[in-house]
Amino acid sequence: MVPAAITLSVVAALAWLLWLAADVPARIGSARWVGLASLALVPVWLLLVSYYAPIEAVQGIIQKIFYVHIPAIIPTYFGFVLSALGGVLYLRSREERWDTLAAAGAEVGVVFCTLMLLVGPIWAKPAWGQWWAWDLRLTMTLILWFIYVAYLFLRSFAFGSDTARTYTAVYGIAGVGAIPFVYFALDLAKGAAMHPVNPAREGLPPEMGQTVGVGMITFIWIFAWLVAKRCELGTLQARALASRLGAH
Amino acid sequence: MPWVIAAYAVTGVVLVGYILYLRAARGAALRDQQRRS
Repeated sequence: MVPAAITLSVVAALAWLLWLAADVPARIGSARWVGLASLALVPVWLLLVSYYAPIEAVQGIIQKIFYVHIPAIIPTYFGFVLSALGGVLYLRSREERWDTLAAAGAEVGVVFCTLMLLVGPIWAKPAWGQWWAWDLRLTMTLILWFIYVAYLFLRSFAFGSDTARTYTAVYGIAGVGAIPFVYFALDLAKGAAMHPVNPAREGLPPEMGQTVGVGMITFIWIFAWLVAKRCELGTLQARALASRLGAH
Repeated sequence: MPWVIAAYAVTGVVLVGYILYLRAARGAALRDQQRRS
């Protein structure tokens, strides 16, 4: 049931974001309800982490970091795929609204990727005795982060021009090519990695699976709300830029 | 336990920090727009 709810959340969040991005000023009001719903999920998730999920036999209490580290992965991938999707829609239509969606997806994706990269070492140090290892999974995740930080720099340096939008759309589409390398890094590393196995194949006890599932759903909706708010900001900034250019 | 608290605290700081950035940037964009209209 939980995997179905996660899939449904991803599909519903994607559909809502595409609908919203098509006309941000008229539809941004709906973000309030998504924001409230995702905020309501936070205490549920934290209560499950604190009282429902059992303490893992080997790692003990520090394994509770799992319930915040793993949920950050879906919004990271979701953000970068959304950025590529926005880029494709922009290249097809040349409409600024899709470029705004692409920028929002990349930026919020970077926020969650940063979160994952910060929380991971806090878990790795007590669990494996070291903050970081240059194995394939960690290195590829860091490269993915750099790819999209560079994307954001590229956007900020060339804000507002059609050429910049075209370049960043192509860059964003190419960037998602790194995601399979991150996901399958553990298979490619053939055991030479700090992470033992992809969590999806771990076969968790039901309580742990349900708790991490609720965490994923919570993060998906927080992500969707943040993308919506970033789209609103992008639209406002584009208007301000247009009025500034019009004044000259 | 301190590691767990640190991980959740970092999560809170990153997400709340980003929300505050969005609010501040939105306010600045709205003020900019009002000044020019």
